Amino acid sequence: MKTRSITLCVNGRDYTFEVPHNRTLLQALRDDLKLTDTKYGCGSGECGGCTVLINGKDNINSCLTLAAEMEGKHITTVGGLTKNGQLHPIQQAFVELGAIQCGFCTPGMVMKTASLLAHNPNPSEDDIRRGLEGNICRCTGYENIIRAVQKASQMINASATQCAGGACS
Amino acid sequence: MSSHMSSRGLPEFELLIPRTSPEAMDMLAQHRDQLSILNGGTALWNYVRGRNRVTPYVLSLSALKGLDYINEIPGDGLRIGAKATIAQLIEHPAVSAKYAALHESGYWFGNPTVRNMATVMGNVLRASPSADCSCALLALGCQVILQNKSGQRAVDIDDFWLSYDVTARKPDELAVEIRIPEPKATTRSAFQRLTRVRQDLAKLNVAVRLEMDKGVCQQARIAIGCVGPTTMRVKKTEALLQGKAINDSLLEQLATSVRGEISPIDDQRSTALYRQQVAGVIVKRTISRAAADKGATQ
Ligand SMILES: Cc1cc2nc3c(=O)[nH]c(=O)nc-3n(C[C@H](O)[C@H](O)[C@H](O)COP(=O)(O)OP(=O)(O)OC[C@H]3O[C@@H](n4cnc5c(N)ncnc54)[C@H](O)[C@@H]3O)c2cc1C
Ligand code: FES
Ligand code: FES
Repeated sequence: MKTRSITLCVNGRDYTFEVPHNRTLLQALRDDLKLTDTKYGCGSGECGGCTVLINGKDNINSCLTLAAEMEGKHITTVGGLTKNGQLHPIQQAFVELGAIQCGFCTPGMVMKTASLLAHNPNPSEDDIRRGLEGNICRCTGYENIIRAVQKASQMINASATQCAGGACS
Repeated sequence: MSSHMSSRGLPEFELLIPRTSPEAMDMLAQHRDQLSILNGGTALWNYVRGRNRVTPYVLSLSALKGLDYINEIPGDGLRIGAKATIAQLIEHPAVSAKYAALHESGYWFGNPTVRNMATVMGNVLRASPSADCSCALLALGCQVILQNKSGQRAVDIDDFWLSYDVTARKPDELAVEIRIPEPKATTRSAFQRLTRVRQDLAKLNVAVRLEMDKGVCQQARIAIGCVGPTTMRVKKTEALLQGKAINDSLLEQLATSVRGEISPIDDQRSTALYRQQVAGVIVKRTISRAAADKGATQ
């Protein structure tokens, strides 16, 4: 099996390792780097469980991306939002508003929210519903997730955080 | 311990990541049909996973610079680079202002994550009859620019899809640009699709371009997807519009004509009977919306 050496910058840290050419970013994160905070749901772009941010802003499906194509890009996973043990406002809002039940969709939902708020700090309810499309939740019925995104947006605007993903440093 | 435990893997291949266009052209010339081109990956990887088979080589466009543009050239039209995404398409002010059908096809496309990855070019090269931007592009008319080691050629979109999953692209060619002619001030266009839930692929999609003159249609292009092996035009129906004012009785005639011009099939997303019926309705609605110049993204 062909392999190549790649360097991935994940949550501000560089990792250099060998991957088979057909390695997806999701496999590299979970299986090689043991960063299991990013979830595998469908492997086909339908569920959003594997959502990560590229360059602090844009959300992509790591199940449809090859690890080797991500050289030189900054990748943020949900673990990268937590700074010094402090939850990011998005995570805090999800906890406070009961937007988490089983929690399987939560990493993807939180990363999609981070991307949405980075592009649109004051989304309307419609913007939020459209912005979170592609991320499926089996448990919550979505209502509390919408409220949590609204609350997160208020918290972030109040603290005037410039980069919603917290990953621009 | 197996490291493939926590997610579904891809079959084996050798990945090529050229950094320059000449390097990419050499690789294409060398490996030809032993190679798949990887753009956003949103269609290719599902295709590969579905068959559990891939070509020995995969050429990623990820490191090629300068292909992710959408440029409006006044007096000429719109140019879409090979790597421009659906997200870029729907944010482009000239696209929403002048190329409504294309804007709407991007607006209703997939979900935000897929729109960040998927490219307009990948949509055309996938040669699927359900592809949304492709449907809009066939109605608007455009050229696909193909490049190999010895130069470029332009293929008209009407001649581009040969059958399901087969295009006019030769194995050593890279599709580099889509060129759409500039619409006139009186050109109108619209797109509509039917899906079960938003991010599904279409059961049916329709796009139209009308050249209007004081309420009279001078010329029309109507594209329909999911009713044959490729997205197709219904030229007899188009001809019925020529020189006519758009009113209810004409719209009824068009609906009947469309139903006679298509022969859809049953598949997992819909039935032939439903498609046959609903195609007439969707064509009527898309034409009246285009003629009334009403967008459908609100
Ligand atoms: C969840 C989900 C939702 C989707 N929703 C929609 C939808 O609403 N509407 C829709 O139409 N499609 C949809 N798709 C399908 C897919 O996203 C589109 O067809 C997309 O436009 C493909 O673009 P890509 O850049 O990802 O192409 P890729 O997957 O990279 O490539 C697709 C094909 O085109 C070829 N190709 C790509 N670029 C070039 C080039 N420059 N030169 C030569 N060949 C090339 C590839 O070799 C491959 O055969 C969806 C997919 C997913 C996973
Ligand atoms: S695992 Fe990637 S979208 Fe479901
Ligand atoms: S909380 Fe269980 S899937 Fe969303």
